[in-house]
Amino acid sequence: MTAVAVPAAAGTRHRSLGWLVRIELLKLTSTRLSYGLLAASVGLTVLWTTLEASRAGKPGGPALLTGYAGQTSIITGGVWGLILAAVLGATISSGEFRHHTATFTYLATPSRGRVLAAKAAAGAIAAAVFGLAGYAVTLTIGLIFVAADGYHLAIGAGTLADWGFGHLVGAALLGVLGVVAGSLVRSQFATVIGIFVWTIIIESLIGGLFGSVRPYLPYTAATALAGTPLGSASFGPGRGVSSITPLPFAAATGLLAAIAAAGALIAARTTVRRDVT
Amino acid sequence: MATISIHGLVKRYGPVTAVDDLSFEVNPGSVTGFLGPNGAGKTTTLRMLLGLVTPDTGTATINGRRYRELPEPLHKVGAVLEASSFHPGRTARAHLRIQALAADADPSRIEDVLDLVGLSDAAGRRAGGFSLGMRQRLGLAIALLADPEVLILDEPANGLDPEGVRWLRGLLRGFAAEGGTVLVSSHMLAEVAQTIDSVVIIDHGRLVAQGAVADLIGHGSGLEEVFFQLTQEAVR
Repeated sequence: MTAVAVPAAAGTRHRSLGWLVRIELLKLTSTRLSYGLLAASVGLTVLWTTLEASRAGKPGGPALLTGYAGQTSIITGGVWGLILAAVLGATISSGEFRHHTATFTYLATPSRGRVLAAKAAAGAIAAAVFGLAGYAVTLTIGLIFVAADGYHLAIGAGTLADWGFGHLVGAALLGVLGVVAGSLVRSQFATVIGIFVWTIIIESLIGGLFGSVRPYLPYTAATALAGTPLGSASFGPGRGVSSITPLPFAAATGLLAAIAAAGALIAARTTVRRDVT
Repeated sequence: MATISIHGLVKRYGPVTAVDDLSFEVNPGSVTGFLGPNGAGKTTTLRMLLGLVTPDTGTATINGRRYRELPEPLHKVGAVLEASSFHPGRTARAHLRIQALAADADPSRIEDVLDLVGLSDAAGRRAGGFSLGMRQRLGLAIALLADPEVLILDEPANGLDPEGVRWLRGLLRGFAAEGGTVLVSSHMLAEVAQTIDSVVIIDHGRLVAQGAVADLIGHGSGLEEVFFQLTQEAVR
């Protein structure tokens, strides 16, 4: 139709979900925000983990790095990657409304439920990178401090691998929760602030008032997946509480997946259906 | 070629009726102006046509199908609804890459449409630094990317300099001459008058007039005069 008409390739009738996920990942990698969030996540993890490791064995600090408890608290305690994974997820969905790009997205893929599913999948993939990067940082710093102090590593390779997998799964699920939260709230600013307030303040308050509920709170459940013992996180609700048992891996995974699925269902039936004006 | 059909379209926002039992058709091979005062319901109508806003009643179809029922919507319809709908941190070329992937369009089209809209030199720049006219051109590039049969444009001349307006006129005339269907909303009556073959005029969400421009314009009167006469009659 145009003066420079080139036969456009005929595509499939409906794009596969994998195709839509590719589009979302291309969006993510084409702006500096994603890389900035990853850099912030790594930087904060370096800072907090180094501070915590340097305070090991001192009053108010984690246990000495001579044994399992102290080493665990450092290697699994820098959980900024998990929080920023949720923030990244929120920007994937709410960013479309902040920058009015939802119009082009829905013109390309009118099925909004499929767009939400693709965003959730892309959020999980990208967030998993945040989780793994955070774990790589805490593991490296932990090993450096243990070696520098002349101690032996008290944690087996299998456990270290399990924690890596836990960081990946926990961050991925928080990424999905971030996408869902952004879809429900739509305001990027409110969603991002809400994530910080929820993870650092509200879960601490709820968990402090009702201790038996604490393991079932979503962020705390994600830290449990990462292997973080309650009371060992650098900050947030896990800090300073050690008398409660965290959820087992499968239960924490199921809980987070159920919350994400319920939120996605609500979003698909409410906010995602709203007029794009 | 594709025909746009609007039939009995109604959209209410609380007590306000934005579009009120609106019906009209747009045929291929022509540029149709969609005119009306601010708040007349033009943008709401276009968004309902594109499946972005759900009508309370009525239908808006392209070749008999709702937008969301089109098997390859971007290959059928190219649309520009607002010049600000770009991520400010993403380059023009990146925006087009994303849309090319979404449309499954030939990636070689990216450079073609950049050249067509005159943005080749700015393709590596972030859209946040673009002027309004450049954003309009980027929007048109995205709309043309998958070589659609229909163009739906909301105030596309906003922010364009005189040369840009002239270029846009040529683009739309050429598109229609090749059999394409063009529906373009505008409040720049003098400019539109030089571009369109037919016109749909609405006010307060209702159809005021539809027809060939030549039929609507009487001896010695221009489109602007006819527009004001019709919209003022509609208010009475």
